Amino acid sequence: MSTAALLRTDSAVRPTHRPGFTDLVRSEWTKFTSLRSTWWSLGVMTVVSLGFTVAATATYTHDYPHLDAATQSQFRTDTVGLILQPAAQFAQLAVCVLGVLLIASEYSTGMIRATMLAAPRRTSALLAKAATLAAAVFVLSEVVAVACFLIGSRIVRAHSVVSITDPTSLHAVLGFGAYMTLIGLVALSLGTLLRHPAAGISMVLAMQFVLAGVVGMIPGSVGKHLAGAMPSGATVIMGSGHNASNVYSPAQGLLILLGWVAVLGASALHTVKKRDV
Amino acid sequence: MTTANTHTFDAAPAIEARGLTKSYGGRTAVADLSFAVHAGRVTGFLGPNGAGKSTTMRLLLGLERPEAGEALIEGRPYAALIAPMTRVGALLDAKAFHKGRSARGHLLALARSQALPDARVDAVLDLVGLSSVARKRAGGFSLGMAQRLGIAAALLGDPRIVLLDEPVNGLDPQGILWIRTLMKQLAAEGRAVLVSSHLMNEMAVTADHLLVIGQGRLLADCPTAEFIERHTDPAVYAATPQVARPALLEEAFMRLTAGAAEYSAH
Repeated sequence: MSTAALLRTDSAVRPTHRPGFTDLVRSEWTKFTSLRSTWWSLGVMTVVSLGFTVAATATYTHDYPHLDAATQSQFRTDTVGLILQPAAQFAQLAVCVLGVLLIASEYSTGMIRATMLAAPRRTSALLAKAATLAAAVFVLSEVVAVACFLIGSRIVRAHSVVSITDPTSLHAVLGFGAYMTLIGLVALSLGTLLRHPAAGISMVLAMQFVLAGVVGMIPGSVGKHLAGAMPSGATVIMGSGHNASNVYSPAQGLLILLGWVAVLGASALHTVKKRDV
Repeated sequence: MTTANTHTFDAAPAIEARGLTKSYGGRTAVADLSFAVHAGRVTGFLGPNGAGKSTTMRLLLGLERPEAGEALIEGRPYAALIAPMTRVGALLDAKAFHKGRSARGHLLALARSQALPDARVDAVLDLVGLSSVARKRAGGFSLGMAQRLGIAAALLGDPRIVLLDEPVNGLDPQGILWIRTLMKQLAAEGRAVLVSSHLMNEMAVTADHLLVIGQGRLLADCPTAEFIERHTDPAVYAATPQVARPALLEEAFMRLTAGAAEYSAH
């Protein structure tokens, strides 16, 4: 605990260069990887994805002879959707929790002040967090999507043959990663706006698991279109685009989700800039 | 440091508040507060609970926006500083870290945001005496250890200005002595040290200069010795030997802030 030598100003204590956004991303990456909750969330995302791919494809393949004609046709025309959508629908839970906790836990512990003192321009800190989350979730969920696709397509091959090199399959595999990443950013934005881990997680889960069901109760095609326009409706981006039950195309699904990220992300950035911490 | 920076450093006070005003829901926390903090001395920031000390510190650091006035660090707002932690180090509240992260992980993240070398993290951990628990979850730290981690973060960038909000809270006598020695040494090295406390005896032996606020307004801004002389009962002051006069700070403070206490028993 000798103070004499260490407090002296010497070159070892100066910044090695003028810090910029890259340094904030390195900082956020250090935070991201130094928490056990990160590894738990990403592990759960991986396991749940693989589990639901196997469960959904195995069940439909086994029951195939007993399915009605419409469902059989759906199985064949939207095989990629069957492989990837159930996985994403449940595995997104882990990404939602991760996205909310990444920022809300900083508010609940007081860490946010240290973050804002290090990056007083504030919005750059949130953007660095978003970049970190997006990069990690996208890379991992692409690996998971490829694994799910290879396993799922093997299970269903008796009734439908899909290859990962087909453009439709490739789009769907990319769509899985895009969906997970953008949902993570939706969760990060909600976590920023609400600041409390429990409130943020409740809100994002209600949005992903309840909201579409509620607006879908509006009668007629209005309800269907509204439900499809909720963030959870964007799972169409990992489908073939030939599923009769979908009201939007994969490309429209991507635009819908980008719209949600833009609106919620802009609100989060605005709030971070204006709000006292 | 470049010549240009040194020039700025000499020209402007380390910290300057100009007419700072902030209220919460109609209740004034800080009202038209102006003062300057200079390098090379420990400036004690005193006031009863609720006087606005912590609010002022957060305003100085850009964590809160004033309704009027401005807060300047070496002549510039905090938000305009490049690598701000290498200019200003701050300990605001103990335990302002994520409980699941290790002390080392916490400091590494902060160091990397300022482009500081990772080796600096081990240096400050050693400085505050946390090297042996550096890889343990910081959530398990005692209040004293948490304060030490907060000090490590404040000194990480080797800043010329140090702000400490109640740094001795929760510390044992050894810890208090350590902080006291550290603050004096930081000032002796030519740094500006602004430290808030409501422990008068602690301030009497640490602070060279005092800023006293009550109900968000500046009540005194003068050297500690002068403050004691001016605000103690003259008879008591005259009867007290010079070596014992720091002990009169508490009485002087009570006399000055009698009308400004936010909460008091009647």
